[in-house]
Amino acid sequence: MRFKAVRYKRSIRSCGGVLAVLVGLCGLSISWAGETSGTLTDEQCARHVLDRLGFGAGPGEVDRVVEMGWEAWVRGQLDAGAINNDKTNKYVLEHFPSLGMTMDQVWSAYNPPYESGQPTVEQIARRNRLRYDLNRELVGSVIYRAVYSERRFEEVMAEFWRNHFNIDQGKDEVQYLAAHHEQTVIRRYMFGNFSDMLLASARHPAMLIYLDNDVSQKPLSDREQRMLVRFENKKYQPRSVAALGRQRGLNENYARELMELHTLGVGSENRKGGYTQRDVTELARLLTGWTAGRTGDSMTGGEGYGFRFRKGVHDVKPKVVLGMRFNGREGEAGGVRFIRALAKHDQTARFISLKLCRYLVNDDPPGELVDEVARVFEETGGDLTAVYEAILFSDAFMDGGNYRAKFRTPFEFVVASLRATGAEVTGFGGTREALRRMGQPVYGCVDPTGYDDTAEAWLDPGVLVYRWDFALRLARGDVAGAKIPDSFWRGLPKNDPAELKRALAEALLAGGVESEGWDEMDKAMGEKLKPRRAVGLVLGSPMFQEQ
Amino acid sequence: MGTTRRQFMKQTGSLALGAAGMGALGTRAVFGAGGGGTPGKPTVVVLYLRGGSDPLSALIPYGDRTYYNLRPTIGVPGPNGENRRSGVIALNDYFGFHPSMMGLARLYKKGLMAPIVNAGSTHPTRSHFDAQDFMERAAPGVKSVTEGWLNRYLYMTKTGDDSVLRAVSFQPVLPRSLRGQYPALAVPEKDAQASASVFAGLYGCDDAKATVKLQAEPGSKKVAVGGQEDKVTGRERIIQAGAQGIARLGRLNEVLGAKKYKPATKYPKTRLGGQFRDIAKLIKADAGLEVAAIDYNGWDHHAMQGASYGVFGEMMGNVSNTIEAFVEDLGPKIDQTVVLTMSEFGRTARENGNSGSDHGHGGYMLAVGGPINGGRFYGKWTGLSSRSLYEGRDMPVHTDFRDVFAEILAGLYGFQADDHQFFPEYDANDKPMGLIKV
Repeated sequence: MRFKAVRYKRSIRSCGGVLAVLVGLCGLSISWAGETSGTLTDEQCARHVLDRLGFGAGPGEVDRVVEMGWEAWVRGQLDAGAINNDKTNKYVLEHFPSLGMTMDQVWSAYNPPYESGQPTVEQIARRNRLRYDLNRELVGSVIYRAVYSERRFEEVMAEFWRNHFNIDQGKDEVQYLAAHHEQTVIRRYMFGNFSDMLLASARHPAMLIYLDNDVSQKPLSDREQRMLVRFENKKYQPRSVAALGRQRGLNENYARELMELHTLGVGSENRKGGYTQRDVTELARLLTGWTAGRTGDSMTGGEGYGFRFRKGVHDVKPKVVLGMRFNGREGEAGGVRFIRALAKHDQTARFISLKLCRYLVNDDPPGELVDEVARVFEETGGDLTAVYEAILFSDAFMDGGNYRAKFRTPFEFVVASLRATGAEVTGFGGTREALRRMGQPVYGCVDPTGYDDTAEAWLDPGVLVYRWDFALRLARGDVAGAKIPDSFWRGLPKNDPAELKRALAEALLAGGVESEGWDEMDKAMGEKLKPRRAVGLVLGSPMFQEQ
Repeated sequence: MGTTRRQFMKQTGSLALGAAGMGALGTRAVFGAGGGGTPGKPTVVVLYLRGGSDPLSALIPYGDRTYYNLRPTIGVPGPNGENRRSGVIALNDYFGFHPSMMGLARLYKKGLMAPIVNAGSTHPTRSHFDAQDFMERAAPGVKSVTEGWLNRYLYMTKTGDDSVLRAVSFQPVLPRSLRGQYPALAVPEKDAQASASVFAGLYGCDDAKATVKLQAEPGSKKVAVGGQEDKVTGRERIIQAGAQGIARLGRLNEVLGAKKYKPATKYPKTRLGGQFRDIAKLIKADAGLEVAAIDYNGWDHHAMQGASYGVFGEMMGNVSNTIEAFVEDLGPKIDQTVVLTMSEFGRTARENGNSGSDHGHGGYMLAVGGPINGGRFYGKWTGLSSRSLYEGRDMPVHTDFRDVFAEILAGLYGFQADDHQFFPEYDANDKPMGLIKV
């Protein structure tokens, strides 16, 4: 059914042609369509897929995509595993070794135990340095791959899922586990099944620690609870009751975010078929015992660090979550059963589809598109590649109204700038700092919502000043670790400012000198332009903030 | 107070303002003269503690045994414990402040500070996400309202000659309460502004008329990049944001870049301290600052929040020391300034299994400043017994946060939120708390 629909769409889809008319006949609303109308030129199509599905076009890339056809390029990107990425992987493992390690290896390499009880100042300093290295490797790997990986769409989706399953490396031990989370949860499953990714995340120490599930334990029984209430105002509390008050108990943090942020969506709370506070508490009870740690002693052959189900703190009383019953004797399997069901919930399908359409198509995606994508999500049981395919080959994706309709996030802007200029990135201090100043430090979102990707969240008066600063400094060669190569400058016309501007427009902007607003830009840039200044201006221009 | 809201409004001399919800509102300069420059409007600084700050760790009912039974590991000992420094700062024989709040306690005793207990949202959500949106847009449960309450106020009262620095936030992006059609400035640091002038031409700023037009009609072209409108509007929106930024940064630079400025007192060397220091500088320069907003992240203390010492105490100490320094620094200007501290919800009355607390319902607010009728508690306290708790677990909400917002806007600016249907689905409080001095 689905494949038929896709093929049908492909047959009416073309970059020139009668799309708008057909869409109109099909009764679909095209009210979101913009002035560019329903059809894009081949070059615009190529730009669009490179911008949206590849963090922007690098030198010469638009031509290559035009030649092979944007659809073929997208199909290739959807089959990410078939794209040879040895070069990127080799670089990553060489420069960011922690990305290839197990969690145990990270612990021992970056957080070595102190030799004696009282560490010396040097030992503490060394540990701090190692921790800094680890942080640098993680951030560096994210930026490096976004700029250089041949699997372009994979990086775009990694950014999406990184925010969806946000973890903050500033919290407790998360920094030692974040790279492993990215590798074994996000990258492993982002072209696979959503259910698998969700479960992998639910069992990953980074998530369990970030959202406190590792410390959540079975709560007091009703009788114990009553005893506490009975004595709550009394001056004298029996010792046994006072002890109850100190007993460990539930932590609802992860249970709530699992439903609100990872699956059903916040709109689901207290709605029909959605969740309530009672479901949150019941789910927290169901997930007691889902913790991180070691069994035995790694030196003497115990299992390594990882997910541990601790039976002793698991709540064995019956529970009902979202109408599903658990008898309390299922242990870990109860949680697994629930998470699998949650992944297939129709509100999950809708929430994930909405977020993906907002990310890939438009801040306010057409309802018909979200419906269709949610249907594919449900029919395929959460097959993410099929879901992406449904979006990318939908009518809406290549509709003119969605062309350049997204405002780049700081991350998208920084990566696109580096890509467009073919920058050689050898260090990450400058880019990392720039992102911090723009309000989007990599793996630094404290809030479990992750970073927003809509213009509404980023476009305030004042925010552009750091983009301008970055643009000018990159062009000047003043961003630590990032350099626009000599070959780029050699290719530019030197003596004729008009020619220089034309060349830069062609190289860096969608549509080149034909693009809207270029005339005003051309005037505003004046006549006596030096190449470096001109590049900075183009990167900081209004047009370059769009994708 | 026996006055009704209407009488209250009459007393502040501002009832006769336009029913259309606009109109240049008379400046209320009764709070002392502006030192030096033109006496401007009062300033309100909104400090948002993101994550759900724990009310029972800030305003501590140490006189209630239940408190210690609910909080065996995170309860703060009373004022007469073995170590007095780690006990609560008693305000009466029932309530005290957290020991880190020495600065705020001093302000309280001077009558410059007032806590509001059991304040919060009428909406039951315990989601950060929704609760923050609802509060910062002052529209609990109404998702169609997408502009911040401070921004709506600014927009409804804008005039042709608004200061370009009327609304500022010293952080990378605006807090949600300041987002909307009115151009408020977000700027994290001062040193990148040189690049702004380079881009003036590209963002339509060379043409003086264009700049004026953009300022006079902020957001006149509706919505936004990627919205229902076409992409040309999106481009215009980018250009507009750029132009507004350039105009504001230029002026900000003039004011903040002034040489040899030294604050009148030392601020904590924290991000928060720096933000308040810069706000004070703007206020002292009479730069027309009316609304400033700050986000302070990281109050979601699900685990190990600490009792007398620990994460909560450190963060609260930062708030307390910073606000005290701010008040000192402002000198007489504090008579025209209010700092309002809030958070999206409170936390469970009982501590959780990890010496922390989970998302709750009723929270607290702290109001500081010369115009505040301070030195007393506001709000209704109903104790900690499980029957009086919300759903048997959380602090209840007895004071709608919109009552507080409304009083601040009315008391400081004579802006009547209820007449303007400013807060959707809101029943105005007939009995004002009297938070602002009449």
